[in-house]
Amino acid sequence: MTRAYLEFAKKSFQNNIVYRSEYVAGVINAIVMIFVNIAIWKAIYEEEGSLEGVQFKILATYIVLSFLLQTLYVMDEYFIEVKVRNGLVSSDLLKPIGFRLYVFSYTVGTLAFRFLLQMLPALILSIFLFHLLFPFSTVMFLYFLVSAILGYLVLYNLNFLIWVSSFWFYWTFSLVTIKDAAVMLLSGALIPFWFMPEGMIDTLQLLPFASIYSTPIQIYLGMVPEDEILTGLIRQAVWVLVLYAVGHVLWKGASRKLVVQGG
Amino acid sequence: MGKHSMRSLFVLFFKYSNMNLKLALEYKLNRSLIALAIFCREMIGVVVMFLILLRFLHIRGWEIHEMLFLYSFLFLSYSLFVLLFAGIRDFDNMVHSGDFDRLLTRPLGLMYQIISARIDFTATIGHGVVGIVLFMNTAFSVGIEWNWQNSLYYVLALIGGTIIQASLFLLSACFSFWAVKTENLRNLIFFNARRIAGYPLSFYPVFIQKLLIFVIPFSFVNYFPAQYFLRKDGSFWEGYLYLTPVVGALLFYLVFLLWKLGVRSYTSTGNSVY
Amino acid sequence: MALIEVTDLVKEYKLNVRKKGLSGAIRSLLVPEFKLKRAVDSISFTIDKGDTVGFIGPNGAGKSTTVKMLTGILAPTSGSITVGGLSPFKERKKNAMRIGVVFGQKTQLWWDLPVIDTFDLLRHIYRIPAQAYKHNLAMFSEMLGLQDFINVPVRQLSLGQKMRADIAAALLHDPEILFFDEPTIGLDVVAKEKIREFITFVNREKGTTMLFTTHDMDDIERTCNRMIIIDKGTKIYDGTVEDIKRTYGNDRIMVVEFGEKAEPIRIPGVELIDAKDNRMWLRFHKDEIQASLILNRLTQKYSISDFTVQEPEIEGIIRDIYLGGIHLDKSVSGVC
Repeated sequence: MTRAYLEFAKKSFQNNIVYRSEYVAGVINAIVMIFVNIAIWKAIYEEEGSLEGVQFKILATYIVLSFLLQTLYVMDEYFIEVKVRNGLVSSDLLKPIGFRLYVFSYTVGTLAFRFLLQMLPALILSIFLFHLLFPFSTVMFLYFLVSAILGYLVLYNLNFLIWVSSFWFYWTFSLVTIKDAAVMLLSGALIPFWFMPEGMIDTLQLLPFASIYSTPIQIYLGMVPEDEILTGLIRQAVWVLVLYAVGHVLWKGASRKLVVQGG
Repeated sequence: MGKHSMRSLFVLFFKYSNMNLKLALEYKLNRSLIALAIFCREMIGVVVMFLILLRFLHIRGWEIHEMLFLYSFLFLSYSLFVLLFAGIRDFDNMVHSGDFDRLLTRPLGLMYQIISARIDFTATIGHGVVGIVLFMNTAFSVGIEWNWQNSLYYVLALIGGTIIQASLFLLSACFSFWAVKTENLRNLIFFNARRIAGYPLSFYPVFIQKLLIFVIPFSFVNYFPAQYFLRKDGSFWEGYLYLTPVVGALLFYLVFLLWKLGVRSYTSTGNSVY
Repeated sequence: MALIEVTDLVKEYKLNVRKKGLSGAIRSLLVPEFKLKRAVDSISFTIDKGDTVGFIGPNGAGKSTTVKMLTGILAPTSGSITVGGLSPFKERKKNAMRIGVVFGQKTQLWWDLPVIDTFDLLRHIYRIPAQAYKHNLAMFSEMLGLQDFINVPVRQLSLGQKMRADIAAALLHDPEILFFDEPTIGLDVVAKEKIREFITFVNREKGTTMLFTTHDMDDIERTCNRMIIIDKGTKIYDGTVEDIKRTYGNDRIMVVEFGEKAEPIRIPGVELIDAKDNRMWLRFHKDEIQASLILNRLTQKYSISDFTVQEPEIEGIIRDIYLGGIHLDKSVSGVC
């Protein structure tokens, strides 16, 4: 049974490397965007006059990590929607496989591709080009890995809610786009929380978005005191569970809808 | 049944526009939501810029209103671009879905059909609203005197910028003749270049500056026109400020030649890559 | 003079060779490989005005490629095509005025708008005079029953309705030649019948030349007076449907049911294909031996309770040709 899911993951991995120019352009894109964003932050910091300081190195590392995570966090947002619209979802549900696990393994296959063939080359180049700071300590690095995985799961379960809504809406472009905008703005992917207005930071910490980028990166940089790391991880885990639970309820509703209306 | 004249092509163009308008009114709710979504997506860049300047006040002498004025060019010209050239934007899709084959069986020029067949009112509104909001909030507070010369310059710069973007899209569309998936290439040539152009050119290392002037001339869409009005940085050649329409025309011509080459390759090799 | 003349037509594609498996996919990513495929390999034929011709052949035989070259979508690698004196590729726009194209899998109607809107657009695209447009619209509406759904958005139409509207759309500008790519694919029997009737009618009334590519042999038998079989890029048959039946359709199969258990009997010119329980399957050539003679011989030894004689179906013959079971000799393929 596990074999089937492994095959889905493998298939999705393979789908991603069929197109050569597309692949190369993807890697170049990642590098260019890191490069440009660092240049912008350099211009900003010049006024502060602390370009050589630790402050800027930390910021640069933050930017690099955020973009590396962004290359990992890309998922096929219309995988379910397309199946709903062309009716394939009903036949998928008849197969002796868990549909949600099927979607997940497909997404993980894409993740594996992005990790090995897009993020790693970008990471190696970043170390040389942008003087990426090494993790604060080995322990912090391990915490970071756990936190990044949890961040991925938060994003996945959040995305899943939108994907399942296609059972009711058929077209989810607007929902996906608005969700993306919220994630990019409120997760710390584009601006570190410490540059946000004071009043907003506490609210941002309460939302699920912080778990996706801000928490793992801040742990990597050693900016989270050791006694708060566990709280951070637990908060992430809680969001995974909460979003999963909501997704579960939605999914049950969607399957019922499918049974009643016969697709 | 006979050959088309300029007049009949013009009439036909309006027929196509009419069809597109009907289409836009077909799913009002969904399309309004899409326009809203586009608005939200495009506002991210604005909000990020705003938050940064809230904290740092100015970057290399640029203040928030000036930065947003620079930014407004991108949206207004993109809005015009999807109004006039949405067919160029969607061209790669046309090739993959086989719709391009249909165009080849019609007694009309290919570029004419591509341009007239598609108008994206939804995106026009989504981007246009961002552009207008930015323009209204900045154009009268950055010290521009809106006399007729400046207004004329502004209109020409917008048109030039629209054509530059159409050319860049056409360039990325050309790849679909040779490659199946061109999404990342298009991101590289267009969307990322556009994001880079959101900030003043003078912020970047010389290498990126050269790229945005000579290779993917996005700097002529917003930086140099904004520079004409604001005169912030003195490090670039004065002549660049007046070249936007010329760059637009020249780029379109060059890319059009490449596109023709692509059409020839398509018709001689077929869509065998698919 | 022939309306369409095709001489030594060749079309080659460059194909991307993909290797199997995960490691193969990675290898292809790093080092791409190409090979040249000859999709159409020096085909020649001529078609006269008013002809109805069916192109048949297995998937990938080159028939769609041939049609794409005839319609000006693809340029030939070598060889020549003239359609009414024009080169469809070099004089694409002129040629386009004179042809209509129906892709069975791909509608030219605007998906979210009523059928009539697309018709109206086509009127401007082809500059159809008002009189001709009105006349054609009325005629097609009546024959194809378009009035029932002409104001309905295309996405709400059934497959059959869509196809009827698509065919009307392709004929509005009175093309001299109409190309069909799989016109009846996925349609039910009634819809197919209606479309075939209409096509035959238009051919008769307007003298429109019709070219089909299809998998459906019924389409060909019902609507075409000629068929061209293409396999592996070459033309392997060109002639009438009757001809192929006459030449290759002379084999008969007799199924005989005996009253008792029967031993095989040897009759010259008759081949025993199968025997099961009290039944036997016998094959014979109808010009060599008469069925009554066989029955006569059989009844001499056993009692017969039932028998049938089967004529081969055109579909079966074509299948045999693809499989190489029937070798076409020069005298047959030389019809052109």
